[in-house]
Amino acid sequence: MQTGTKISLAGHGLLMTWVVFGAWFPSEPLPSNVQQVALISSEQFEKLSQQRQAPQVSPEPAPLNEPAAVQPAPEPAPQPDPEPEITQPEPVAPVEPDPQVTELPEQPPEPEVPVELPSAAEAPEVSSLVPQVRPETAPRPVDRVAPEPVAPPEPDTKIDDIVQPEVAPEEGAETEQDVQEATAREAASDRIVTEENEGEDVAASAAPAVSKRPKTRPARPQPDPEPQVTEAAQPAETEQTDTADAVADALAEALAGGADVEAPEPSGPPLTLGEKDALRVEVSRCWNVGSLSTDALKTTVVVGVSLSQDGKPDTGSIRMLSSTGGSSAAAKQAYEAARRAIIRCGSAGFQLPPEKYSQWRDIEMTFNPERMRIK
Amino acid sequence: MRKILAALLIGAAAAAGAGAAMAQDGPLRIEIDQGVIEPLPYAVPDFVPETPAASEYATQIARVIAADLSGTGLFREVPASAHISKVTGFDSPVKYADWKAVNAQALITGAVSVNGNQLTVRFRGHDVFAEKELGTGLQFNGTTDGWRRMAHKVADAVYSRITGESGYFDSRVVYVSESGPKNDRRKRLAVMDYDGANVQYLTNSASIVLAPRFSPTGDRVLYTSYESGFPQIHVLDVGQVQRKVLSSGDGTMSFAPRFAPDGRTIVYSQTQGGNTDLFSMDISTGAKSRLTSAPSIETAPSFSPDGSQIVFESDRSGSQQLYVMPAGGGEARRISFGEGRYGTPVWSPRGDMIAFTKQNKGRFHIGVMRTDGGEERLLTASFLDEGPTWAPNGRVIMFTRESQGSAGRALLYSVDITGRNLKPVKTPDGASDPAWSPLQN
Repeated sequence: MQTGTKISLAGHGLLMTWVVFGAWFPSEPLPSNVQQVALISSEQFEKLSQQRQAPQVSPEPAPLNEPAAVQPAPEPAPQPDPEPEITQPEPVAPVEPDPQVTELPEQPPEPEVPVELPSAAEAPEVSSLVPQVRPETAPRPVDRVAPEPVAPPEPDTKIDDIVQPEVAPEEGAETEQDVQEATAREAASDRIVTEENEGEDVAASAAPAVSKRPKTRPARPQPDPEPQVTEAAQPAETEQTDTADAVADALAEALAGGADVEAPEPSGPPLTLGEKDALRVEVSRCWNVGSLSTDALKTTVVVGVSLSQDGKPDTGSIRMLSSTGGSSAAAKQAYEAARRAIIRCGSAGFQLPPEKYSQWRDIEMTFNPERMRIK
Repeated sequence: MRKILAALLIGAAAAAGAGAAMAQDGPLRIEIDQGVIEPLPYAVPDFVPETPAASEYATQIARVIAADLSGTGLFREVPASAHISKVTGFDSPVKYADWKAVNAQALITGAVSVNGNQLTVRFRGHDVFAEKELGTGLQFNGTTDGWRRMAHKVADAVYSRITGESGYFDSRVVYVSESGPKNDRRKRLAVMDYDGANVQYLTNSASIVLAPRFSPTGDRVLYTSYESGFPQIHVLDVGQVQRKVLSSGDGTMSFAPRFAPDGRTIVYSQTQGGNTDLFSMDISTGAKSRLTSAPSIETAPSFSPDGSQIVFESDRSGSQQLYVMPAGGGEARRISFGEGRYGTPVWSPRGDMIAFTKQNKGRFHIGVMRTDGGEERLLTASFLDEGPTWAPNGRVIMFTRESQGSAGRALLYSVDITGRNLKPVKTPDGASDPAWSPLQN
């Protein structure tokens, strides 16, 4: 190979190498930031500072848009009013004197012989006797809210808290058969549906859940309203040198663990979590907080009840054991709603295992409406 | 051998102890934290007429009570066609089993007697499932003209006993009655029972009237009138229909007045020299004092029920928002921070909430928030909702809803503070700017 060719090859090689890898090694210095600084006089600085201290005060504020409410009224045209001319406002009848209120004596006790009542067929129709009551406008349907959503039942299905299939007598059956009407639970949603959140996820609301302002002080920690702590028995100590004493101590301690319970003492296996949960669901289906005041909705009540062996509550045994969070009036309303729930849903007997009757003979139910407030 | 026996005994004792620990301690305890929200079923059979002239009222009073209770959305009437028992005498024993069978959880029985123009109404409430009376029975004496009020009073008592909060049925609403097309609408003040009955007009339609507000005792109404061509605040005695102009016509525009809870002072907006600020005025002396002095628009003031604070709307931050300040003026703190514009705030009679109008993304909403701005909840959504007013018990809000288009008209609606039970309030003509009175005595 000739020398010229070698030089040419080497030169081209170097050129190609520079073209490919040259950009990796920028040789130009990075541009440095340059800040221009202007000097101002002390008078100018003072002027600027003054402006910052009181920016809102200006000799002539910009003209503001007048609120719509104060737009001058259009000059009323001097045409005669088609309505009958009312020169003086119509006098209003003075408010009638307040009805006097007196308390009635207690209702007399129910006599032994019940009053004979007419049959239901004689119940008068009252719909035609309502001349002055405003006709029903068409309000939005009041949705029922339940722990879990319930699809609307088939039309003509009887609404009941207990779901039952329809049982029709078989064709040509010789023996008499029980006929059972199909029942279904009333349709319900799991949250309050308003015009605003209809058809959308509540969480998607643009409104903040809380004020962005910092709280003046952190919330005081609330004591647990009802700490339900069952004391576990102390484990028997095993590291004893004297065996006889150890046996005596261990027996005494073990027996002491179960000796706290006052008679009547529940015996036998306790209810399983599933059995407890089933009872909880049964009662919650009848616990209607829709007519409670906001104060009563902040009140937790503990209600005691005794059940008979068929699972029905003894109405006379229902009592309020304690309440937390609201006034005594609110606690009374909350207790009455709880009592209605127990009586209504227990009227057919709660579904509880009969062999464990001693475990569920006495029940303490805590009705805590906290989660119902934010539905 | 002895050691082995001891170990076995210890093991058995420990097992017994553990078993005792697992066994239930005392009664079975369960916690219910889920329930249902649905109207409570009740029955109100016709009251028993104790005189021949009372039979008409006996039916009508029962129907008004039913309309009041069912109208709240908290109660549902068991219709008369489902009743098994018939109440034949006020003191007759109640057959609770018959009412349980139709799932009526509350029962209202009553009697009516008429003597001349004197009407006497007695009633009792019953908790059907507890088989007890709901409190003691009550008796109301009045005139036959006031039979609706007596029915409302019975309904208030029943509502109060079941819910634990005061009722709102024996109350009135003052509003602006609107008639005629949109471009020539005639407005006059009207007052009616809360349910739309007994409408009476307080002014003629010669001049435009705006924003009527009841006094804390319900005997006077403040409103803004354009009678002089300029907006001026008037106070009207509802019983005597006597009017008095409160603000002077010295080139200022006065509007959006509202009474202080003491009934002696009012707070209002005044525009002077293009700037709108809040002022208060002693009604008897006419002495005014300035509450705000910002170059922005401050309007729609409303007192807290204890009279210590005022909530109002202002655009001082660049957009219309809600602020709270001391009643005597002073530093205001902003309480609304959501998207959109907030206006016409009204403090709840209970003191715990503020209702407002919100405009966001081309729609109007009526909403409520706590007084510190937390827990904002929008209750409605429509083309134009505005001007909320609280029921005396702070449970229901009434407001104006205007429909779209040239044929659109304004109507009154009410909604529960949960957002349930949204419904129109019946008025003879179009209606706007409602203001709810306190509960009548």
